[in-house]
Amino acid sequence: MALELRDVNKTYEMNHVGVHALRGVSFLLAENEYVAIMGPSGSGKSTLMNIIGCLDVPSSGQYLIDGQDVSTFGEDRLAEVRNSKIGFVFQTFNLLPRADIFHNVELPLIYRGLRPARRRELAMAAIESVGLADRIKHKPNELSGGQRQRVAIARALVNDPSIILADEPTGNLDTATGAEIMAIFDELQAKGNSILLVTHEEDVARHAHRVIRLRDGLVESDAVRREAA
Amino acid sequence: MSSLHGTFEAARIALAALRANTARGVLTTLGIIIGILAVVTTMTAANGLSNSFKESASVIGADVLFVSRTPWIVMGRFFQFRNRPNLTLKEAEKLERQLHSAIAVNPSSETQRPVKFGNETRDNIRIIGTTHKQMLVSSAVPEQGRFFNAYDVQAKRRVCVIGKTIHEQLFEGLDPINKNLKVGRYDFQVIGVMEKQGSAGTFGGPDFDSQVFVPVTTFVKLFGGFNRNFDFAVKAPAGASLEDYEFEVIGEMRKIRRLHPNQEDDFAINKMESLLDAFNNVMRVVLLVGLAITGISLFVGGVGVMNIMFVSVTERTKEIGIRKAIGAKRRAILTQFLLESSVICLAGGAIGIALSFAAAEAIDRLLMPASVSLPIVGVALGVSVLVGIVAGFIPAWRASRLNPIDALRYE
Repeated sequence: MALELRDVNKTYEMNHVGVHALRGVSFLLAENEYVAIMGPSGSGKSTLMNIIGCLDVPSSGQYLIDGQDVSTFGEDRLAEVRNSKIGFVFQTFNLLPRADIFHNVELPLIYRGLRPARRRELAMAAIESVGLADRIKHKPNELSGGQRQRVAIARALVNDPSIILADEPTGNLDTATGAEIMAIFDELQAKGNSILLVTHEEDVARHAHRVIRLRDGLVESDAVRREAA
Repeated sequence: MSSLHGTFEAARIALAALRANTARGVLTTLGIIIGILAVVTTMTAANGLSNSFKESASVIGADVLFVSRTPWIVMGRFFQFRNRPNLTLKEAEKLERQLHSAIAVNPSSETQRPVKFGNETRDNIRIIGTTHKQMLVSSAVPEQGRFFNAYDVQAKRRVCVIGKTIHEQLFEGLDPINKNLKVGRYDFQVIGVMEKQGSAGTFGGPDFDSQVFVPVTTFVKLFGGFNRNFDFAVKAPAGASLEDYEFEVIGEMRKIRRLHPNQEDDFAINKMESLLDAFNNVMRVVLLVGLAITGISLFVGGVGVMNIMFVSVTERTKEIGIRKAIGAKRRAILTQFLLESSVICLAGGAIGIALSFAAAEAIDRLLMPASVSLPIVGVALGVSVLVGIVAGFIPAWRASRLNPIDALRYE
């Protein structure tokens, strides 16, 4: 099992009024699953993604990654979990603009504390897997949107995470490029990675094998897609 | 993460960030450059002052006591010595007779006269009347020719030994030995040139290289001996404690002066140690005041760095968010920004030190011997890094505490 949410609640304090972003969300995500989380804005999608990505912790309930309950972790231990178990792919790519491609992909390995030789090996392998080996010295602004997102995918893959967490990964790309990126996710899943997409686009969600729909902080539906089954 | 390794990476990141914003880095560094330049120059000048003073003072032997009318260092109660009788040549002779153990008792006195060689004249030159025993109580020796001997003194010969500066300025490369030097209205035969002794002139003290020694007997005869005050240099016997010996000298002087037990000394005992003590006290104050003033400029420089670091952290909020998302711990972010501010300050410090070498060179040429010493460089580099760490800490702390979600969302 890759991850498990047990009755996860999240309450924010806003102007002294409690806002319930999540009201008891539970689901399991098995290894090598390909899941899309959908929902309108305000449904708790972002909050759920932050919790799954270990950027935030639940107010109550449990969240387990690889059997480990991370809902009580402090910031530094969460950083460790993010580093080793989560691979982020963001809508806006979120690459370091001043660093070249190689350094961007290498960065998670630096924070993991690997030696330079090992870092080079792993980073090059990840860059090659997204077909950008000839661009390692380029800066992100010298690449197209699709190429940037491929760099982000390489960075997400480099520490061999338990789950790849993609937040609207095609949101800033044209249709054709978006399709290319989704093809990469399909390929990664076929190779055995677990993927969780957060999206509001049905076209994107269609790639997943299972769709979890949120509404008002609750799981509205959780279904294996008929085509996939 | 091995911390040395992490530090190296953080340094690389810091350098990259600085390269990306060179102009701002240079401007920020300017404050540190000026601060470090000021601090290093102050320390160097103080050091130079101290060294040149000690060099000059070392001419006075550490085992020599000076019997004088007044203490060398007088703090504001000068009037109380006004009525003391002068020390006379007769008293010097008595003292020498009574102090069996002294290696030498050398009386000397001084006046000022113009000296002239050919068409070259120098006004207000110190003329020192002394004896052949000068060689026993001072470590300075002639580098050319000889000092006068007992016979020269006894015969009241008109011979003189000149200082290095007099030699250079009046004789302009000529061999001065056996030439005639006019001292006041009288001709003296130059028989020796003293080695260079360094100047105490920087402190308003005498310039030991710009003086003329003549036999004390000749001095008294030509320039007047009545009512003239002498100083007695007493060289203590080998192995004697200078403090104990001081009591002996005081005792003999009191006998000579026929002082009652209830009367105070009407003379003073001086020694190099008290001179050095007084000097060191003054130097300490000068250095502290100097460092306090120059420290302000360094402080202002540090505030500039802190300011820029706040800007840098704010500008790079998104970057911090990204780094945290992919696994940077608080400590890694803290280290990154601390290193960045340290590198700025270290670079400023290095430039400041380089400039202070030039400043020391200028001081050396214009004022006194001065050179930037290795310990000062070490202290300056250490202070630079310290300023960087102190100035960078609050911004770096703030960066490390950013919430990754908010930071990622920051545009």
